[in-house]
Amino acid sequence: MSFKDNILEKYSARVYKNRKNHIIVKDENVQEITANTRTIPGIMTNRGCCYAGCKGVVVGPLKDVAVITHGPIGCSFYTWGTRRNKAKGDNNTKNFLEYSFSTDLQETDIVFGGEKKLRQAIKEVVDIFNPVSIMICSTCPVGLIGDDIHAVASEAQNKYGISVIAFSCEGYKGVSQSGGHHIANNGIMKNIIGTSDRPLKKFSVNILGEYNIGGDGWEISRVLNRIGYDIVSIMTGDGSFEELQTAHKADLNLVQCHRSINYIAEMFKTKYGTNWIKVNFIGLDAIVQTLRDIAKYFNDEELTARTEAVIEEELFLVEEDVSYFRNKLKGKTAALYVGGSRAHHYQGLLKDIGIDTVLAGYEFAHRDDYEGREVLPYVKEDADSKNIEEIKVVPDEKNYRVMLTPEQYDELKKEIPLEDYAGMLKEMPNGSIIVDDLNHFETEEFIRILKPDIFFSGIKDKYVSQKAGVLSKQLHSYDYSGPYAGFRGAVNFARDITMGIYTPAWGYVKAPWNNKPVLTGTMGGDA
Amino acid sequence: MGKNIVNLTINPCKMCMPMGAVSAFYGINKCMTLIHGSQGCSTYIRRHMATHYNEPIDIASSSLTEEGTVYGGEKNLINGLKNLISLYSPTVIGISTTCLAETIGEDVPRIIDNFYEQNPDCNVKIINVSSAGYEGTQYEGFFKTLCAIVKNVEMDITPNNKVNIITPLISPSDTRYLKDVFEKFGIDYVLLPDISENLDGGYIKKYNKLPDGGTKIEDIAKMGGATLTIEFSKFTHDEISAAAYLQEKYGVPYIRLPLPVGIRDTDLLIQSLEKFTGIKAPKSINKQRERYLDAMIDSHKYNAQGRAVIFGEPDFIYSASRLCCENGIVPVIVATGTRCDTLTNALDDEIKKIAKNVFVDEYKILSNTDFDLIESEALRLGANIMIGSSDARRIEEKHGITLIRCAFPIHDQIGGQRVRTFGYDGSLDLLDRITNALLFKKDSSFRENLYNEFYKGDKYISTSKSKTFSQKAMERTVTHPCYNACGTENARMHLPIAPKCNISCNYCVRKFDCPNESRPGVTTKVLTPQDALEKYKVAKEKVPHLSVVGIAGPGDALANWENTKNTLSLIRAYDPDVTFCVSTNGLMLPMYADEMVSLGVTHVTVTCNAVNPSVGSKIYRYINYMGTKYEGETGAAILMANQLSGIKMLCERGAMCKVNIVMVKGINDFHIEEIVDTVKSLGVFMTNIMPMIPVAGSVFENMPLTNNKELTLLRNKCGQSLKQMYHCKQCRADAIGTLEGDQSIDFQDYQSDSNKEQIEKVRFAVISKSGILVDQHFGHATQVYIYDYENGEAKYIEKRSCKKYCEGQENCDDKFDKFEEIVKSMKDCKAVLCMRIGDIPSKKLAEQGIKVITTYDKIETAIAQSIKDYRRELI
Repeated sequence: MSFKDNILEKYSARVYKNRKNHIIVKDENVQEITANTRTIPGIMTNRGCCYAGCKGVVVGPLKDVAVITHGPIGCSFYTWGTRRNKAKGDNNTKNFLEYSFSTDLQETDIVFGGEKKLRQAIKEVVDIFNPVSIMICSTCPVGLIGDDIHAVASEAQNKYGISVIAFSCEGYKGVSQSGGHHIANNGIMKNIIGTSDRPLKKFSVNILGEYNIGGDGWEISRVLNRIGYDIVSIMTGDGSFEELQTAHKADLNLVQCHRSINYIAEMFKTKYGTNWIKVNFIGLDAIVQTLRDIAKYFNDEELTARTEAVIEEELFLVEEDVSYFRNKLKGKTAALYVGGSRAHHYQGLLKDIGIDTVLAGYEFAHRDDYEGREVLPYVKEDADSKNIEEIKVVPDEKNYRVMLTPEQYDELKKEIPLEDYAGMLKEMPNGSIIVDDLNHFETEEFIRILKPDIFFSGIKDKYVSQKAGVLSKQLHSYDYSGPYAGFRGAVNFARDITMGIYTPAWGYVKAPWNNKPVLTGTMGGDA
Repeated sequence: MGKNIVNLTINPCKMCMPMGAVSAFYGINKCMTLIHGSQGCSTYIRRHMATHYNEPIDIASSSLTEEGTVYGGEKNLINGLKNLISLYSPTVIGISTTCLAETIGEDVPRIIDNFYEQNPDCNVKIINVSSAGYEGTQYEGFFKTLCAIVKNVEMDITPNNKVNIITPLISPSDTRYLKDVFEKFGIDYVLLPDISENLDGGYIKKYNKLPDGGTKIEDIAKMGGATLTIEFSKFTHDEISAAAYLQEKYGVPYIRLPLPVGIRDTDLLIQSLEKFTGIKAPKSINKQRERYLDAMIDSHKYNAQGRAVIFGEPDFIYSASRLCCENGIVPVIVATGTRCDTLTNALDDEIKKIAKNVFVDEYKILSNTDFDLIESEALRLGANIMIGSSDARRIEEKHGITLIRCAFPIHDQIGGQRVRTFGYDGSLDLLDRITNALLFKKDSSFRENLYNEFYKGDKYISTSKSKTFSQKAMERTVTHPCYNACGTENARMHLPIAPKCNISCNYCVRKFDCPNESRPGVTTKVLTPQDALEKYKVAKEKVPHLSVVGIAGPGDALANWENTKNTLSLIRAYDPDVTFCVSTNGLMLPMYADEMVSLGVTHVTVTCNAVNPSVGSKIYRYINYMGTKYEGETGAAILMANQLSGIKMLCERGAMCKVNIVMVKGINDFHIEEIVDTVKSLGVFMTNIMPMIPVAGSVFENMPLTNNKELTLLRNKCGQSLKQMYHCKQCRADAIGTLEGDQSIDFQDYQSDSNKEQIEKVRFAVISKSGILVDQHFGHATQVYIYDYENGEAKYIEKRSCKKYCEGQENCDDKFDKFEEIVKSMKDCKAVLCMRIGDIPSKKLAEQGIKVITTYDKIETAIAQSIKDYRRELI
């Protein structure tokens, strides 16, 4: 029986047929994975819903926006401060991340419609909080009862003179939170970017798909600022509405989480001519490579020199710590099951500290995140993806800029990931396992067979792993730690993992009275 | 009392039904739950439960997509069930429906039937609970699920010795306590649900993805034959109560007990069990009780400073509140996000009693509320500890109010599954945590407080209220409706004995007499001191709880000092217990403060609208001081100096001072915090920020009206430094009764009964909207009431209709025709009574020989009064 069959034998024929295409044992051939398809009911998936992707992931971290969840209370409660996207307000920027706003729909609202209540709720938010922008995220029943949240939004926008944006991100749309990312991307592009102005500045960048979990964005900004980049906006960790409005004035887009935000990057290119490159700020080798790539794009002698100087200094500061931890961790193995980009990003960091990745999987990624963007033309769209609107953008007359000549573009594309993402698969060694939409049952089976030293995932499978005797580390929330990005983050990460692996508790798992004697023998000469 | 805003929930204090459903199913043996809807619901709930319990939480989803919303979710649900069974082999599957499934109208029972039909060999028990998120909170979802479980199990009704135990969502640790107590009494029980192991598992060698604990279906089947059900809930409803169902269907009697938290409710459980079994409680339980009692006594002196916010599910907050009350901690806010109508009744007496003990004026019991309101009320009422889930952690962080985490969900600390509050020892644990939090706060601040108060002495007045105000003033405050917002049953009487005023405020005109003009400065009639005493005597008989006499104008009490002094002396001689309260603009305060205190005035309200002459000059037109008129900043400066020194004198003499501030937008609104800080430093007890009522004819008649929100915001802001009055009704100068019910109209003509006399018939035309009161403008009349006054009594004769004569400016030309018609309709009358009338019609009526009398009163009283006032002209 093959390795895969060993895992999947318990499934019914139908489920077996489905799941086997989501699992790959890496070999030297070009391999295809099935991803972004419907979840199998009843199988204990870790995936979330469309609302989670839109409200929870992309628009939620915008600190100065009051996001109203239009629906019954649960959805709003469950997204209240549960993701560790950190933000700091200041005198000019309000911070609403500590708040949860909901229309708390009741049965009568479901019967008679919730628009009136939504209208009033907007008024109350304006009266009490006076935000620069209000966003409305709808939940399952809202789509079904036919509330026209977009009409309510534009009416409120006219009435109060602030931006009011509606997102039809009902939970049932798409097959995972990925649909919600797309809907949020569309709304941000359509309604925010380009609505305000600022002067052009040298070496200006947007960071796309960085949500400042545990302060990652702050470490990244620190390094970029040191080199001399001007960060126009961060989408969306510690981000603000007002920053986003001027994002079109940046020279380059840096895409960290390809999955959740590549739509904006592409639309940007069409509308404003701004190029994007795929970056990775997680892991020392990765960030060094990324910083050099960015410098190459700007092709400025002084900037390049500063980049190298900063790299040298930052590496020097952390090297000793990292090598200490590497010694403690060398030869350990890890399994990664997280998100739509982290399962890839963290492999580099793990390698930096001597840990091999034996299994990696994404929750809600698409084929291109595994196999690279070159498969995009061949990805078959299913009904669920088609239901998510694709918006068309056209070049902006005033703000479209040509950044590179076609020759320069072609030349650069050979050297840096210009508008390209190679995916996770290529970098993984033969024999490692790639799984899409891993579920609890498979998690247990893989842990049993692979016996990794650490299992990286989220809160839902954290305790499955721990009960099975394998150290767990949450890569969604970092278990209240972080940052893990950048230079200093790498040290934090290495220290946290070492601390976990060397926790004394693991040594007491076996009760002393259950110990069998090491030697068995007999007394006298009976034998 | 609900939320302060109606359509927006800010920071919810509740979760949705499926959360409750899933939690209940977790207490069933070998049960898996499948949430029928989009997969987010399941993911979110797992995430929240896993964080709290630190256990793997496996909840499946039917993962409905857009296709499901169109064609129904049957396919997904059936596949989900199949997959769940093949991977987990459960004995029971609970299906909890979501908003999505309920909105598209899924017929889950039919789908389950279809599933069994397709899988005839399947012997998994499938239990469905309809749990749309918009139908209720997790609290109802939990009970509803227990009810669904009991309804879905075929009962073995052979009588047995078992006792059914039904609980709301309690911690695994508390569940273990319950089991232990019942075992100690040797009771054979069925516990529904039993989450003690499934949500608090130990570390075992082999991880078991379907835990072993929980109530078995075969045990649930015995519930129908049990001897008794004990349901631990004070607030569940019969229609979602498994206990009520078991009684109705199988005749199993039930009792409802509160959660065994605190000494009284644990006693109740132990006593009930003793009674049921006839066995004395074992010694170990008595020992626990002794220890808890000892702890209560040990910590009582620290607890008396506790002002608690208790929030969460109704049963939890009820129990935690009772624990606080029995330990002398005042629950100043008891709040639930669930709709719970019976909460106030259940707790009010208890909290009122403890609050009174420690001079806490106000507390709030809130149902269907959110954390936004809890936060603002907590600040206003000076809470220093919070008890509930971790959802108040933002309030803790922001305002430094310690949060004791002891209810689901706890997201930022570990050990949620092990929280113990049940029984004497659980109560002791909780009490110790509360007391220690209070002690920590005290320990970290008391040196500085002591140093400032006693060594430096400079903050003496402002930091120690109880020493500043005399014992008499403190006691009387409890029964004063204006100072004690809770004591609304206490009534006050304003005596209008002071007609003159010595300052002129731009917002004031004191010439109207009309109860529609309910505001300070308005009265119907000015009384002499003797009249005032008589009126008091009458009112005292008729109004229960009349405890306060106030002098509130209509002018200024001190500008009419002789009247004020005489009135107070007379009333004091008649009723030594009454509380005196005087309102003044403060101009003459330094002169009379001593005399006031010796007359027994314990409460003084001074209206200070500014503490800066340039602001003041915009509000006060002039003052009349010692016979000289001062205008502008000079006048304002004198007034302010006298107000502040007068207030200081009063406070030093132990009187309770309240400062009224009229908030005038654009004039003094920005300055009010400064006023509050200034008067606070003088020892003022509270301030009452009132919106200005723009009065026609006053200088400020066209000023913008302050809205309630601005007012509340400002009050909240000032409330951080000084107690604020939130319940001001801006009473008339002759108001009588409680703040809620002005009865002044009943007392206006208290003398008329004794003054009846025999005179000839006089006919009156009365302009009235209601037919009860003279309450309409002459020009608005569409009918005229005709009354005859005869033999000392007014008798109703008939109603005559007429056309409304004033239609406003546009139709002014043709009004004379209509006017003629009205005059015709009252030709046989000697006089017309109306609330108001224009000059021209008044003159015209006079030409016709009809006397015009304007008043606002009961018709009969108004007629009697007219006879008295104008007898020569009328008779």
